[in-house]
Amino acid sequence: MEKKKIGVYVCHCGGNISDYVDVEKVRQAIEDEGGVMLAKTTMFACSDSNQKEMVDDIKNNDLNGVVVASCSPKLHLTTFGNVSERAGLNKYNYVHANIREQDSWAHSDDKPGATEKAILLVRAAIAKARLTESLEPNKIVAQKAVAIIGGGVAGMKAAIELSNMDCPVYIIEKEFFIGGRVSQWGAMFTTNETGKEVVTRLYNDMIKRANVTVFTGAEVVTNVGSIGDFKLKVKITPRYVKEKCDRGKLQQAIDACPVEVPDEFNFKITNRKAIYHNFPSEYPQAAVIDMNNCTRCGKCEPICDNIDFSQKEEILDIHVGSVLMATGFDPYTPHDGEFGYNEIGNVVTLPQFKRMIELSGKKLRYKGKNVKNIAYIYCVGSRQEEGGNTYCSRYCCTSAIHASLLVKKKFPDVYNYHFNRGIRTYGKQESLYYDSSAQGDIYLQAYEDALPVVSWNGSKTIVKINDILTGGREMEVEADLVVLVTGMVPRADNSVGTLFKLPKGRDKFFNEIHMKLRPVETFIDGVTISGACQGPKNIMESVNSALSAATKSYSYVSKGELETEPIVAVVNPDSCAWCNACSEACPFDAISMTKDGTKSIAMINNSVCKGCGMCLPVCPTDALELIAYSNNEIESMIDALAHD
Amino acid sequence: MAGINPKFGEALKEYGGINFNACYNCGNCTAVCSLSTPEDSFPREMVRLSVLGLEDDLKSSLKPWLCYYCGECTTHCPQTANPGELMMSLRRWLTSQYDWTGLSGLLYKSLTLSIIAFVLTAIGVIVFAAYESFNLETIIHFGHYFEMIAIGAVFTFILLPNILRMWWFVILKPKIQVSFSTYVKSIGELIVHMFTQKRSLGCDDNQVRWFEHLILVFGYLALLFTTVFLDWFSSQNLFIIILGYVESVVVFVVTFDFMSSRIKKKKAINKFSQPSDWFFVIWLFLMGLTAFIVRAFIDLNILETNLWMYLVHLIVLVQWAVIIVPFGKWTHFLYRSFAMYFDKLQKIGA
Repeated sequence: MEKKKIGVYVCHCGGNISDYVDVEKVRQAIEDEGGVMLAKTTMFACSDSNQKEMVDDIKNNDLNGVVVASCSPKLHLTTFGNVSERAGLNKYNYVHANIREQDSWAHSDDKPGATEKAILLVRAAIAKARLTESLEPNKIVAQKAVAIIGGGVAGMKAAIELSNMDCPVYIIEKEFFIGGRVSQWGAMFTTNETGKEVVTRLYNDMIKRANVTVFTGAEVVTNVGSIGDFKLKVKITPRYVKEKCDRGKLQQAIDACPVEVPDEFNFKITNRKAIYHNFPSEYPQAAVIDMNNCTRCGKCEPICDNIDFSQKEEILDIHVGSVLMATGFDPYTPHDGEFGYNEIGNVVTLPQFKRMIELSGKKLRYKGKNVKNIAYIYCVGSRQEEGGNTYCSRYCCTSAIHASLLVKKKFPDVYNYHFNRGIRTYGKQESLYYDSSAQGDIYLQAYEDALPVVSWNGSKTIVKINDILTGGREMEVEADLVVLVTGMVPRADNSVGTLFKLPKGRDKFFNEIHMKLRPVETFIDGVTISGACQGPKNIMESVNSALSAATKSYSYVSKGELETEPIVAVVNPDSCAWCNACSEACPFDAISMTKDGTKSIAMINNSVCKGCGMCLPVCPTDALELIAYSNNEIESMIDALAHD
Repeated sequence: MAGINPKFGEALKEYGGINFNACYNCGNCTAVCSLSTPEDSFPREMVRLSVLGLEDDLKSSLKPWLCYYCGECTTHCPQTANPGELMMSLRRWLTSQYDWTGLSGLLYKSLTLSIIAFVLTAIGVIVFAAYESFNLETIIHFGHYFEMIAIGAVFTFILLPNILRMWWFVILKPKIQVSFSTYVKSIGELIVHMFTQKRSLGCDDNQVRWFEHLILVFGYLALLFTTVFLDWFSSQNLFIIILGYVESVVVFVVTFDFMSSRIKKKKAINKFSQPSDWFFVIWLFLMGLTAFIVRAFIDLNILETNLWMYLVHLIVLVQWAVIIVPFGKWTHFLYRSFAMYFDKLQKIGA
């Protein structure tokens, strides 16, 4: 190794450091350390002028190691790494010493002690700088294609965006129809467009693109590989009905089907046959036989030639560089007895109510009775202190209010009573709250400790509340229909999340790396999340996140090659005896077994390893090292710190 | 336990309530109101009771009368829910509730009915004049008698029973215990508020409006006294004649100013005018003006040849006495002052 020539800069940070640490004393203490070629103090190390001075120093003195003693590396490690690069020095030769958060701020009551500690911290950094080596990023091949799991609005919007960037896309939709939850809604806030219109528009735009492939009735069953190189196996369940089909005959076949099951599309307020389609503009425009419920009676077969029971399940191989999750949400299902649900006859959920408005004719009727007084109970399944869903589902206040506007418009003689816990119609949606109040809807409010009570008095459903807007007085409404304004919960079927080992938050939705700064990336490299699978979102928010996830996914695959951090674990094949302890400790599944001749040893997947170091301490034979944090480097730092 | 009645809100709109349903209960109105106190907090509470349609609570409340409508609440309402106008509409509604005949309510709600009532009264006067062969002396004679009879009859058969009903709603029905001596001791409250409206001085920057209102009240009452008891139109006494002129000028000048404010709509209080508000100021203005002209015609000795002028005055007078005083906005003169009296009783009783 060539002799190290190290430059050291001790920062005043205005007075943040120098008020407690005698920086000049620190400089003097370390200027004669081995390898130190120049040692300076500076008022602000991060200032432009100092950065320029550092570049000049590195160039003029041919420095091959740099230490800045300043604030936390979270703030400026990258800054000074870049300064080194600008001067032509590989950034891994830069070492950061934190003498602010870990010293001057923490020991403001002990100035001589703080100065002593600063000296030791800088010496440790210098010790490491003596041993640093130049490193280059690991390069891996990235397959230029993205798999999108879920064909709702988020998935379709992401597909269109990726297609625009000339990136091949596979949409893998578990249902037999595209559109997800949005296809189930009628007119929606705040544009009053229907879900069907939105889905139709997106579908028509998406399906004409040569580089977008859509699979319905499709599920990812296995995933091998990692960022840049995901190899998926996708199971395609057959529809048993050919796509080109005579609609008239199909209808006769549907009429002939003797099986009736609750229709999930209408949230079980209606029934459908085992052979079905959802609505006339559904996509793809082909019916389906639901084999879980079909009795194979064969009555449909002679009516319609296009029914084909010979279709077989298929398994497709798909190779992509990134996976974009857009699996959406489930509406919260109240438990039996929650505000009378499943116990009192006229209690429904908001999604059911929205389907009712859509499906009803001239009169709003439920179970054969006219509906006049509608009580909406808010925050059902959201903002719970007990019950686990502590979060706000964001869309429900606005959606319920929008439904109340729709229902009043369609049936002017209804009265809406909103039993809420504070209305959250944020942003532009606030105008809907105004419209609803102005049309005469009545808002009653309670705290969580005294929620409204729904009861049946033998002839009527009564909703009672101690209304905090009327001084806590008890109010009651005789409701013909109680609508539980249910929030969003994660999909009950999380198999795809498990398959990709996606981390989940306390709310059980998929978790991003950083809520604000890395909102669509996950800890599984190459897998991005968008839409309501990440947490409750309205359509606008889902589309926003879909576009950003599309961009992020594209950034992984666009160059055909990916660079990853060189700071990863390495295995010493001589001392490794493959005990599996490292593999178990690895949170990222980056370690697998391989053969070195006849001997089994651990192998690190560089594209998955994050350099976290979890495997190092568990190795009984000390066969693992972390690049840039080698035993040698760490021990030399400890020696410097411990030396007095 | 209170049942909610959203239909009440719809009904209240017929009394002039505007958009109060839009209230989201922020309470800004109550915060800016300079008359609202922790014990008597309004207008938000009144808006809330109106939205929910809790009629019994509203009927037993005096708070609508405790508001003197400066309009600050309406100016500061972020929802344009118009709390000031809501309080105004509640006063109209309460007036209709106090009125045992139910006519107040009908006239407040229907402009057509009001116009029919005015037209029928006018026809009645003309028919009466024709019956008397348009003899000026007899008509003036009867006109003078009519005034005295009308005052007595309206008070006895309409206003007194209505005040008693108000008393029932706010004191007796809620079972507030008030001793006889309290009734007597608090009577001063009634007199002071009836003749000074001093509570309205509590509204911000209200001195001018208060003063205008004060001289209008005194001008009107004095004009009534001068014509009825000093028989202004027949008097030869120079002092009485001049007094009558001054009083009638005060009445029509002040009401002219009130009318022009309602047309200009510069302040929140003047932005919304119901027909009943217009009838009140216009007829008061016409009363002052026609009385002034009639007396001027007498002094110029041209009334004999211009009998129509007296007929116009008589028509205005009769309409005022049989429509506006018993069933129209005139009653606020009584209900406001009695409300202050009953409020005192309620507070002592509680």
